Amino acid sequence: MSAELIMALSPFLAVGGGALLLMLAEAFGAPAPAAGKAPDAGSGRSGELALGAAVILIGGALLSAASWAAGPSTTGEAAKVAPHLLLDNYTLFFCFTLCIGGAITALLAGGYQPEHRIDRGEFFPLLLLSTLGAMALAAAGDLLTLFVALETMSLGVYAMCGLRRGSVRAAEAALKYFLLGSFAAALMLFGFALLYGATGHMDLAGIGEAVKSIGAAESTVSAPMVIVGLVLTLVGLAFKVSAVPFHMWTPDAYEGAPTPTSTYMAIAVKSAAFAVMLRVLLTGFGDERLMSWGTGWPPAVALMAVLTMFVGNVVAGRQESVKRMLAYSSIAHAGYAMVGIVAAMRSEAAESSVLFYLLVYTVSTAGAFGALILCGSRGAEAVSYDDLAGLGKRHPAAALAFSLFILSLLGMPPTGGFFAKFYVFQSAMDAGLYPLVVIGVLNSALGAYYYLKVLVYMYFREPLPGAPVAVPMRSGMVGAALVLSAIMVLVLGISPGFSFEMALSAALPR
Amino acid sequence: MSPAAKVLLDLLPYLAALGVGVIVPKRKSLFERAAVGIVAMLALVLVRGLWPATPSGGAEEAMPREWPHLLNVVVFLPIVGALTILFTPRQSPALLKRLTLGFLALDLGASLLLLRVPMTKGWHFQYIVDWLPSLGIRYHVAVDGISLWLIVLTTFTTPIAAYASFGSLKGRVKDLCFAYLLLQGAMLGAFVALDLFLFYVFWELMLVPMMVLIGVWGGVEKIKAAYKFFIYTMAGSVLMLAAILYLAWAHHQAAGYWSFDYLALSRLSLPRVAAWLCFLAFSLSFFIKVPMFPFHTWLPDAHVQAPTGGSVILAAILLKCGAYGYLRFCMGLFPGPAWAAGANLAGIAVGGGILYGALCAWKQDDIKRIVAYSSVAHLGFVMLGLFAASQAGIEGAVLQMVNHGIATGALFILVGVIYDRRHTRLIREMGGLAKVMPVYAALFVIVTFASIGVPGTNGFVGEFMIIMGTFVSVPLGSNGTMQGVLAAAGVILAAIYMLSMVRKMFFGPLSNPKNRGLPDVNSREIVALSPLIVLIFVIGLFPGLFTSRMTETVGSVVERYVDGRKAFQEVAPEVTQPGLRERRGGPLERGYPLSPSERQAREQGAQALNEGEAP
Repeated sequence: MSAELIMALSPFLAVGGGALLLMLAEAFGAPAPAAGKAPDAGSGRSGELALGAAVILIGGALLSAASWAAGPSTTGEAAKVAPHLLLDNYTLFFCFTLCIGGAITALLAGGYQPEHRIDRGEFFPLLLLSTLGAMALAAAGDLLTLFVALETMSLGVYAMCGLRRGSVRAAEAALKYFLLGSFAAALMLFGFALLYGATGHMDLAGIGEAVKSIGAAESTVSAPMVIVGLVLTLVGLAFKVSAVPFHMWTPDAYEGAPTPTSTYMAIAVKSAAFAVMLRVLLTGFGDERLMSWGTGWPPAVALMAVLTMFVGNVVAGRQESVKRMLAYSSIAHAGYAMVGIVAAMRSEAAESSVLFYLLVYTVSTAGAFGALILCGSRGAEAVSYDDLAGLGKRHPAAALAFSLFILSLLGMPPTGGFFAKFYVFQSAMDAGLYPLVVIGVLNSALGAYYYLKVLVYMYFREPLPGAPVAVPMRSGMVGAALVLSAIMVLVLGISPGFSFEMALSAALPR
Repeated sequence: MSPAAKVLLDLLPYLAALGVGVIVPKRKSLFERAAVGIVAMLALVLVRGLWPATPSGGAEEAMPREWPHLLNVVVFLPIVGALTILFTPRQSPALLKRLTLGFLALDLGASLLLLRVPMTKGWHFQYIVDWLPSLGIRYHVAVDGISLWLIVLTTFTTPIAAYASFGSLKGRVKDLCFAYLLLQGAMLGAFVALDLFLFYVFWELMLVPMMVLIGVWGGVEKIKAAYKFFIYTMAGSVLMLAAILYLAWAHHQAAGYWSFDYLALSRLSLPRVAAWLCFLAFSLSFFIKVPMFPFHTWLPDAHVQAPTGGSVILAAILLKCGAYGYLRFCMGLFPGPAWAAGANLAGIAVGGGILYGALCAWKQDDIKRIVAYSSVAHLGFVMLGLFAASQAGIEGAVLQMVNHGIATGALFILVGVIYDRRHTRLIREMGGLAKVMPVYAALFVIVTFASIGVPGTNGFVGEFMIIMGTFVSVPLGSNGTMQGVLAAAGVILAAIYMLSMVRKMFFGPLSNPKNRGLPDVNSREIVALSPLIVLIFVIGLFPGLFTSRMTETVGSVVERYVDGRKAFQEVAPEVTQPGLRERRGGPLERGYPLSPSERQAREQGAQALNEGEAP
């Protein structure tokens, strides 16, 4: 391996090597569990391991930025790993987003786990390995890597879901996610088999070429098999981004899992799935016929986008639990991002709008979940709206942080959420998708209702007399995660220019 | 004469006003005396600033230079203030209040500097800097003769509202100060923004602080009112966002580069259907904010639930954002549809706003609801003047926006005064109050006169100009006469409901024993009200001071409206692609966004020039 290749692969190497190191540290560094401790309490090393994981992941993000600055690595040495791993700007942009999301999750877990007596060190190696899978997923250029990366990412998350072993809900969440996830993976695998059978290629570019040749005189590619393969692949990916009607697992899994895991599922898993969805659709099925409104995938994705936005927003308004509301809100946000994917059939800018949207969504959602974590403490986790009543008066700092992220999710200027939505809708308008834009903006007005409910409870209501009151926890790590997200939300909203240019140059070449 | 002596001589009238304010009132505390004195001095500054300057010296001296950052200071001073408040301890409410008032007073001073420049045709104090070059989004702010008055109204009213509410609201002072300052910054930004993206950012930024004002300190049903306010306005504005995106896309199609600039987008000539849809989206958003019948139902709820200060800001400024938006954006960007719909919309403004609003106001038994419905009626007048789109109509509408801000702001403060003492606003609880609160009654009657439009007060001038403008209006055609007559009938209805309220509250026997021994207005309330009362008469007696500064701008607005309508009629119905009209040049297009190639050429030209000069 030459130095150039190592440089290009450095984000992956850092995160993967870091995961192994943390695993050793967790195994050998942990003292024996003291007598009298709850059996589920774990080693009590979350703090150190969380810091280690966060440092490694931020290092991964910095290395992605560095290898971006070093220039396009698709040519020369780095091309040696293609098509298994495509180390282009697109990959590096997602590596950055995923590492930031993972680092915030690590910090949140570092505060959350000791507080709620699930101080289990294995969370952090799992987190790193899963992030490595997510990064490889964004980089995957052939179906095999794609599947392996997807499973690497998912297996870690299944385990992270069921971390709280004593809890029935956590077990339900993990099992539900695992069963449905395996089912979707199996469908997708079947789709891959069909695609390979039809085209004779495992790499996306090769599939793209073969699909283009359909209809030519000498072509032997079977169009129906390609279409069925495409549909099955789409279903598997739609499951991962939790698009309606494949969203049923999301609220239960998010609610039952420990909140840092929910955060991770909402941000990293979703972003990586969007990354691969965009790449598969544009590289593998970027044929003109398949990208047209009449005969291709855009109407299917558009229909899913509309359904996802409506169902996410309407059902989120009916929730009593803030965590479930955030789960449905993440479904709705998948819908907005899918509007951008539909628009990507006609313009490259739309693709970068999805990238930018996912970056903003990552920091806003991480912040919102993090603020929810901050609002609860041992034995009194903040779950429902009532737990938040009067928080603005009792704990202004926690309430202010929560408001900022909620406003960003709602899409209020001057936060990043506004700009991201604006950019997605602008590129959809550019692609001539007026109805989608109108439906999208109406949905963001619909979403205002349940996001505002958080503000209303925190600032306008007082807790009912006698009701248990959630007491915010004290944790430097959660605080640090929130400050990091808040800075990014504000910077992406007030001066988005730089990251915006980055997203533009990260778009996949056509 | 030495320069120091000259400066002293210039300052003499202000010092005299300060002295009169400090010495004359019978107040015990020195602080109160100083406050009254400062108000007197500021009023004098305002009146002298308004007076047409007598040219002295050369012509260049007579045209004061425009400091390009003045608008940035005016807009961002309150926002910086809001951030400062965020880091000020909430345990010291006195410090928070003083900081807030200090920032607001500084902002008022800064905005009065805008009056030093004669408002000739075109944009003034223009400041442009690229924000997101790849999307053509710029930070572009400027004032003209129309937005000037709304800015001054905003900076003038917010400190009064803040000062008045500091007396009655206890607790959560920090949130209150933060909301006031942020709201002020957002409203000012919306009035000066000439880039549609920037405008939308400020437009949305207004929502949250206003919702907090209603929701935190409001009455029993505050949460419902806050939701209603937010969802109504948000639903309107997201459709406007879609229309803004369409306009930018159309500009990209027609000109080949992205721009969200008002100057560039107003050159667009859209296909008919698209123009109509965009007009509907923009005007829906503005009509909800104004509010026009049938979208007015959120307003009485919001007003009744909001605290005094919130009501003052809501009525005096926030509603004007809608009317201003219609004037600037609907009429500027879509003259064709606006012209064609004008007569029908004017009918709605007269029937649903002026007459129906007045009848609703008549039937209310809560004083605040009466004032809220009177706002619906007065805003009906403003919108009628805009739909009439004649010189007198628009001038009257802009003047009436200021008038309504002053009179209704004062009315809400006065309602707050009685509410603080009695904790009720029902008319049947009052009666004969003039016997126990004579000063209060006198002030109330003066403000009522201004609201009705009695000659000599400001309301008369605005309503008279609007009705006159309606009669001569071209877009309204033959309907204009009828609508003018009905609008005049609305003035009579206003007299009926306002005066019957005054009679029931202040005159007759003092029947309710709870009203005995109510204290008269205190010094804080006097300080808050006196500038408004002064302005009622200044505008009422010298309206020329105000209209003279808007004449040229309104003239160019009318001219462009007529031209734009003509161009819209020339668009063939089968056209499906957006096009661009000819550039008009002149001061109205100063700061026009250049295409990337033009910009490059200009930069190269500047470079070549520099190189040529170097040796």
